[in-house]
Amino acid sequence: MAKVSNWQLGREMEYPYAADRPKKQFTMIMDTNKCIACQSCTIACKSTWTWGKGQEFMLWNNIETKPYGFYPTGWDVNILELLGEQEWEGDVYAGETIFEAAPEGERVLGWAPAEEDWSHPNIGEDEPTGNAEDTKYIPDNPHSMMWMYYLQRICNHCTYPACVAACPREAIYKRPEDGIVLVDQTRCRGYQECLTACPYKKTMFNLETRVSEKCIGCYPKLEQGLQTQCTTSCIGRLRLTNYLSAPDEIDPRKPADFLVHIRKIALPLYPQLGLEPNVYYIPPVHVPTKYLTQMFGPGVEAAVEMYRNAKDDPELLGLLMLFGATERIMHTWDVADGVARAYDEQGEEIVAVPLREPTFVRPFEFATEVAGEPTTAYRHNT
Amino acid sequence: MAETSINRKDALLYGGAAAGGLVIGGAAVAAVAVSVDNKKPPIEGAPIVAPYVDGELPNTDPGADAWKSAERTLVALAPQQIAQPFLDKAGVTALDARALHNGTEVALLLEWDDDSVDDLDGIRRYHDAVAVQLPTRSGAPPALTMGAPGSPVHVLQWRATWQRDIDSGGNTGVDQIFPAVIHDVMPDDILPPETAQLYWVGREAGNPLSLVKRSTPVEEVVAEGFGSVTHLSRQTAVGHGKNENGRWHVVIAVPSARDGVGEPLAPGTSWPVAFAVWLGSQENRGGRKHIANWQTLVLEPR
Repeated sequence: MAKVSNWQLGREMEYPYAADRPKKQFTMIMDTNKCIACQSCTIACKSTWTWGKGQEFMLWNNIETKPYGFYPTGWDVNILELLGEQEWEGDVYAGETIFEAAPEGERVLGWAPAEEDWSHPNIGEDEPTGNAEDTKYIPDNPHSMMWMYYLQRICNHCTYPACVAACPREAIYKRPEDGIVLVDQTRCRGYQECLTACPYKKTMFNLETRVSEKCIGCYPKLEQGLQTQCTTSCIGRLRLTNYLSAPDEIDPRKPADFLVHIRKIALPLYPQLGLEPNVYYIPPVHVPTKYLTQMFGPGVEAAVEMYRNAKDDPELLGLLMLFGATERIMHTWDVADGVARAYDEQGEEIVAVPLREPTFVRPFEFATEVAGEPTTAYRHNT
Repeated sequence: MAETSINRKDALLYGGAAAGGLVIGGAAVAAVAVSVDNKKPPIEGAPIVAPYVDGELPNTDPGADAWKSAERTLVALAPQQIAQPFLDKAGVTALDARALHNGTEVALLLEWDDDSVDDLDGIRRYHDAVAVQLPTRSGAPPALTMGAPGSPVHVLQWRATWQRDIDSGGNTGVDQIFPAVIHDVMPDDILPPETAQLYWVGREAGNPLSLVKRSTPVEEVVAEGFGSVTHLSRQTAVGHGKNENGRWHVVIAVPSARDGVGEPLAPGTSWPVAFAVWLGSQENRGGRKHIANWQTLVLEPR
């Protein structure tokens, strides 16, 4: 075991290999507040990468309803239960990671989903939680105690991947150029140790080729400067494919660095597991803090507050407006005169988006009287 | 039979207990009484003596009469607990081994109890298997841990899945794992074969595990330590396995010459040999296996 630095935990931790950060790190930012679980991303991914025979159950990208949705079933509650209750002391994680808690004879604390666990990708869809009896349904504030939200899931392309740690053949590797985690399709021998180890359950076993496969971060698109399929198909425009700098090389002009390290509005998924995952979530604003803290760590309250006040933060608002505005990967952005602009690596403008769309007021004289009623509304289709 | 334990130090440094008893060049043969009586109980720890057979070996027939001319050796198995990940508990404690050779080929018949036939690879669905481990060079045996850097081993692995691949003509995928599966449109339904093939990435990349049409259920690899298995470009091993009455009977055979792999398994020589057994029903796979300490394989002179 080596000692590696995990900035999300605010401390060093044990990992089977020495730290070797990539030049830049593929990352995705998800604004959970904008998702309607239409699964356009899921279908875009499926129809691009995993519609082959042997991949029937396979969703490299999926959207699940929290708290009762899981793909595979119980993926997060199972590892949380195995790990047991753990504590944060402020921003420093005082508990054990899944590497530190590995039992004798194992490299990682994990569990293996069964076949049926992969068979209900939409289990728990739209199921809210909370105490319905306490809800003042009528007359005001309906469902005030009830909540659910959608969680967008791809491989986290972790800095310290559990799949890499667990593979006895070193068949899984992290690309030095962009930090994407890949399964070497010639080297894998189908032991499925990665399926047991990955707490996010984002490596999957191909039933025809008998080797493991996983989200490849759409690297053929990335290599052309384009965002991933799940990002560009998102009708809610809630995703941003970007690159994160190493924690000691943060550049506030870069979108991901700004959101993750400067404004700290986007948070990692279950950071306490110790993998330093690289998909970051803007937490939902309507969910109890206790639940969100368990899922996204101690920065939740500040992130929600930041999001609620985004309207007063043109730099942040402009960047959020640029989500989904272009297929190309943004390297920098700025906001001037009510317009947010994104730039490529050479500093050329990619796209411009107004912070406020122009408004047109239709004159009322076109409204018509209906059946003797006074003209209080517009009529359409007349 | 008591469970044997193989400690890390023995395995890594001394190549197991058999190292001390290793005899090269047939000197051990004189001490071994070869019996053709197959009804005798197998003898634990005895050298595995391969009588010379004049003619073809039953290299794909575990039920052949020729096997009766070989004495059975009981080989103790223990859960692999040297390198992570461990096998936490044993599902089988011994296998019976016997061998034959004809000067150009060496065949082993391996038998062990397993009342669950696991011959499909799926999600958390693992296969039964057995492997034979031989040094590539004569001399002191390499580390039991599948060799070590600079000290390679030659491994012959039979898998129940590969046997079913052959016996069924390649019908061992989704349609067999889930007999009631209903497919949507698949790439091979609508794309030219060379394009559809791209969706079976492992196969397209040339991974030997992803082959469906295979000619042998035995894979020949070399290794220099756990996790370093390397598929040989030239595959020469053959074999056959069948499960009868809750017991696997598997033949694994390899040409004696071992061209490009190591020194020939010549008549009149002795070799360290080790085994591994996997029970699919017990979620055995990879390093989660049962291993035997080094045994001695004696190839009788012509």
